[in-house]
Amino acid sequence: MVATSKLKKAQDRIGAARPYAEALANVMADLYVPELAERFPLLRQPEGDPKKVALVLITSNRGLCGGFNSNLIKLAKNRVEELEKGGASVELHLVGKKGIGFFRYIGREAAGARQDVGDTPTSEHAADIVGPLMEKFENGEVDAVEVVYASFRSAMSTPPTILPVLPVVPQQVGGAKRDYILEPSGEEIIEAVLPLYVRNAVYRALVETAASEHGARRTAMKSATDNAGDMLDAVRKELNRIRQAKITQEIAEIVGGADALGG
Amino acid sequence: MNVTLISPEGSVFEGEADSVVVPAHDGEVGILPRHAPFMTLLGSGKLVVRGGEGVSTFVVEGGFMQVTDDTVRIVTENAREEAA
Repeated sequence: MVATSKLKKAQDRIGAARPYAEALANVMADLYVPELAERFPLLRQPEGDPKKVALVLITSNRGLCGGFNSNLIKLAKNRVEELEKGGASVELHLVGKKGIGFFRYIGREAAGARQDVGDTPTSEHAADIVGPLMEKFENGEVDAVEVVYASFRSAMSTPPTILPVLPVVPQQVGGAKRDYILEPSGEEIIEAVLPLYVRNAVYRALVETAASEHGARRTAMKSATDNAGDMLDAVRKELNRIRQAKITQEIAEIVGGADALGG
Repeated sequence: MNVTLISPEGSVFEGEADSVVVPAHDGEVGILPRHAPFMTLLGSGKLVVRGGEGVSTFVVEGGFMQVTDDTVRIVTENAREEAA
């Protein structure tokens, strides 16, 4: 029940984040033209496969939520193996105690690890996580940034998902672009909006993962309660059977004894 | 005209207004109803919304403003309401 109320709050946060994301996507779609891609480092698409990838894995700090964390970790591990097979080098940035624990256990170094995010991620957390990665991307130290997180479809369905964050791929929206008065130029606005867009993508991933964690925990705890109930039923039946057998035997002995005396 | 102030954590303000003064990157800009489509970057400072329900003041930092079809949308990472 605790998870249910936390889940509700986390879901509300996802809903509250939506207008901001839509507003950003809207502006990007209005201002983006493919020619800009060459001028802005954050939009630069790598030629061929990326060679240096930063992978951010978001997990929870606490356990008892079924396969939630292990599914995320498995996806991240597979992705790392896949990228390394393709000849890329991967640096790991871990968020959440469970992911940190796993990669420490298998003895793989992580470039970054933090467990201060918890239940209520804020946009500052997102900025902290992705800020240094944006710098590295602009300097060419990494040429792709991906986030592994649990996307929140419903409380029952929280599939682990890989979200490419950098380079930014703006959604192309059809239809005429509006004729804006721009102040300063459209390019400068895009330059200012791009980091917001990237930070918001990470913020969304954090918020969705937090909600998914509560959903997964509620499901796990419900099945634990159900299983314990089933076990209790079985044990109680067994106990009653033994007690009944004992009583029957005692009655039989008393009746047998009385018969022997009366005989 | 309709005014919304949006931050990543959610909507901070939403309502009808007769005028808005925003701190643009190079000085304050006032928007009245039926303004032409307009987009600008914001600096930091006070955002003042005057409407039927009185005057609301917010402190914002960074982000942008988009004006379309009599709707003003102010999108910023940092926004908080200032007590009147």
